[in-house]
Amino acid sequence: MINYKRFSLDNGLRVVVHEDKSTPLIAMNILYDVGSRDEDPSMTGFAHLFEHLMFGGSLNVPDFDTPLQLVGGENNAFTNNDITNYYLTIPSENIETGFWLESDRMLELDFSNKNLDTQKNVVSEEFNQRYLNQPYGDAILKLRPLAYKVHPYRWPTIGMDINHIRNTDLEHVKKFFFSHYAPNNAILTLTGNIGYDLASKLSQKWFGPIEKRTIHPRNLPIEPEQTEERVLTIERDVPSTALYKMWHIGPRKSNDFYTLDLITDLLAGGESGRLHTKLVREKKLFSEINAYMTTDIDPGLIVVQGKLMKGVGIQQADKSVCEVINGLRSKNEINYEMEKVKNKFESSTVFSNTSVLNKAANLAFFELLGDPGLINKEVESYRNVSHKMVMENIEKYFIATNCSTLNYISTRIKK
Amino acid sequence: MMNNLQRIQPPVFPVEKVVIPEAGALRLNNGVPVYLIEAGTEDIMRIEFIFRAGQVKEHLPLLSSTCNMMLSEGSLNYTSEELNGLLDYYGVFLHQSAEKDTAGIVLFFLNKHIEKVLELSREILFRPVFPEQELGALMKKRLHWYLVNREKVQNIAMDQFFESVFGKNHPYGYQVSEHDFENISPSHLADFHSRYYNPDTMAIVISGKIHNQTAKLLNSYFGYDNASEIKKEEPFNVLKGSELKKFHINKPGTVQNAIRIGSSTINKRHPDYPGLKVLDSILGGYFGSRLMKNIREEKGFTYGISSSLSSLDLSGYKVISTEVGQKNSKNAIEEIYKEIKLLQTVPVEKDEMAVVRNYMSGEMVRMFDGPFALAESFKSAWEFGLDNRYFHSLSEKIRTIEPDEIIELARKYYNIDELYEITVGAE
Repeated sequence: MINYKRFSLDNGLRVVVHEDKSTPLIAMNILYDVGSRDEDPSMTGFAHLFEHLMFGGSLNVPDFDTPLQLVGGENNAFTNNDITNYYLTIPSENIETGFWLESDRMLELDFSNKNLDTQKNVVSEEFNQRYLNQPYGDAILKLRPLAYKVHPYRWPTIGMDINHIRNTDLEHVKKFFFSHYAPNNAILTLTGNIGYDLASKLSQKWFGPIEKRTIHPRNLPIEPEQTEERVLTIERDVPSTALYKMWHIGPRKSNDFYTLDLITDLLAGGESGRLHTKLVREKKLFSEINAYMTTDIDPGLIVVQGKLMKGVGIQQADKSVCEVINGLRSKNEINYEMEKVKNKFESSTVFSNTSVLNKAANLAFFELLGDPGLINKEVESYRNVSHKMVMENIEKYFIATNCSTLNYISTRIKK
Repeated sequence: MMNNLQRIQPPVFPVEKVVIPEAGALRLNNGVPVYLIEAGTEDIMRIEFIFRAGQVKEHLPLLSSTCNMMLSEGSLNYTSEELNGLLDYYGVFLHQSAEKDTAGIVLFFLNKHIEKVLELSREILFRPVFPEQELGALMKKRLHWYLVNREKVQNIAMDQFFESVFGKNHPYGYQVSEHDFENISPSHLADFHSRYYNPDTMAIVISGKIHNQTAKLLNSYFGYDNASEIKKEEPFNVLKGSELKKFHINKPGTVQNAIRIGSSTINKRHPDYPGLKVLDSILGGYFGSRLMKNIREEKGFTYGISSSLSSLDLSGYKVISTEVGQKNSKNAIEEIYKEIKLLQTVPVEKDEMAVVRNYMSGEMVRMFDGPFALAESFKSAWEFGLDNRYFHSLSEKIRTIEPDEIIELARKYYNIDELYEITVGAE
């Protein structure tokens, strides 16, 4: 049970505090309610570029990292489709430096061309390193536009075209900052060796004076229902062929969320998951195979991806994946298997919540969904999934017209 | 009222002396050492079984790692499917690993399942049967993974780095090739296992919530197996770096070059090591390091650059790693050498010393925070026959090292003529 207290400042900043005296550290997490889904289609990759710019100095702090290192702290950040999340850990005696730094960059960034130009280069190299210079690295760039035609999830967080960020300027940067970075668009969580009173006092002192900003309500296009199967085949010079299959699912807060999560675990949770057991171990069709659910806030995807063994045809591989999934339509009881994935989920939740940093990030995300208490209800929600619910969801989501497939064919195998 | 807030850095408190808890120690009936680290708030446990069964013991490439991976592929009483199914059923996370010196397994679990975990661990560690069919399937999979990994410039560069630094004839150095995946048989594995997975070379590290009966349970599962009679002759291999210091591997079609610059060096047992650790941090060991500041934050040549210092039983190495756009590769290498030369000639200023001291002290707090970090830190010293005195001397060095000593260390350990320079990418 993770105890927490929450409050809001007058400027709209939401704060969640969880005290854990067993650690000498404090984790401080600031979630901004802005992700790549909030970008203009002609300027994608901006939310992520912004994450980089946030370390380039702010109104009263020329350099974010050095003062933090000076007090023994460490930090990082990530951007996804929905949020931009900044976090740091710091020995508790120096937590006020964390407040000073984070509040200053919420107040106002030091908008400089020098910083912008450098970070454009850094992000271009990140793009090259992750997506172009890795085998299969560009698959993600192909998958999103295949599954989404309208919703901004159709581009990846890094952007659909790296030139979008290469061509941007300070005016756009400023505009983006003031329309998304604001106390009333952020959640601050503090976990670890900090009491509620100190957390409240310091939040008020450092974040209280920052004024509320105008945040336009989100109005994103809704992805129309997919009505026919989509298949894209591409050829690349990679050692083996890969298969990617995606199915549309509901939003994060849908009632089916935990059932679908459990389904991906039946398919691919651990070494004993069905896909691995049947297709890697028994039939030896794949060298590796995995299934996961995107945890997007808007309607997301279930993805199955695997690499084929030499000599296995893509049709055969595809068919075998569908057979394993269809196996879950069977009425034969699977109590032991259900109990297995539930136990594993419980165990994995307990382990994840031993880290102050994970607790801080999880509490922030659940606060964004509307209730930090969800952190304590996940195991129960997952345990409540029944075999009947599994069968119903398989029936509902895993149908051909809801599926997109990327065949990533190795040109070396073909020859 | 609040509007008068001075937005300047609040008072900086020195990171207090790191609290390093002592591990409890006991021996099982058969002499196996057990180290116990009580920590954390949840009723969970991490248990690690460590053996001197790393690559350094193998006479065939891939033998040590394959033996380790095959431990969970079938035992006297369970098939591999049963073993993996049971581990998942009890919510256990099993990590198998074979490093250059040591190999073993780590299990994370809820305490209520400890008996089952110990029973399964004993099966995995001391009753494996190495079925031929599972071995064949594993080697096919590994070959696939290998081929994918060899597409990545950073892996090609690291493999070459180890070969250049430690030589083609030593397990620390040699590279794996495709035909190595066909050379391993169940009898090789059984032989390697009986030599190196033995109670007399095992140690157990436990951390988390430790219960009264934990030691008794351990003894009942692991206290009665005895060492095998097999004589363990140590493999004899010569550590010898290549004469050739600069090495480029052409990899057409890539957009970035991987760069690795470094050499063999002292390990944790050497008195200069803590000081070298500080020097390494200044150079490239953290986000505010000189290499990061210059090559990423100033020039934008790369997404990341770092240096690291690692200990091995028979040696050690330091390496600077980065991937940079091809047109900037030469410049980046020049800048790396420039930063090294600066450290050899110009004293580090007070402000920078303060930042690195406090950053590293904070890092030490993180190294001893929580049951998992504590166990890893314990192992990292224990493996070299060291105890907490190593961490105390590191902590002391972080607080007291002077700029002169940094210069001295940079001159002594970063002789540019002795550094290997590996690059991989399109020409």
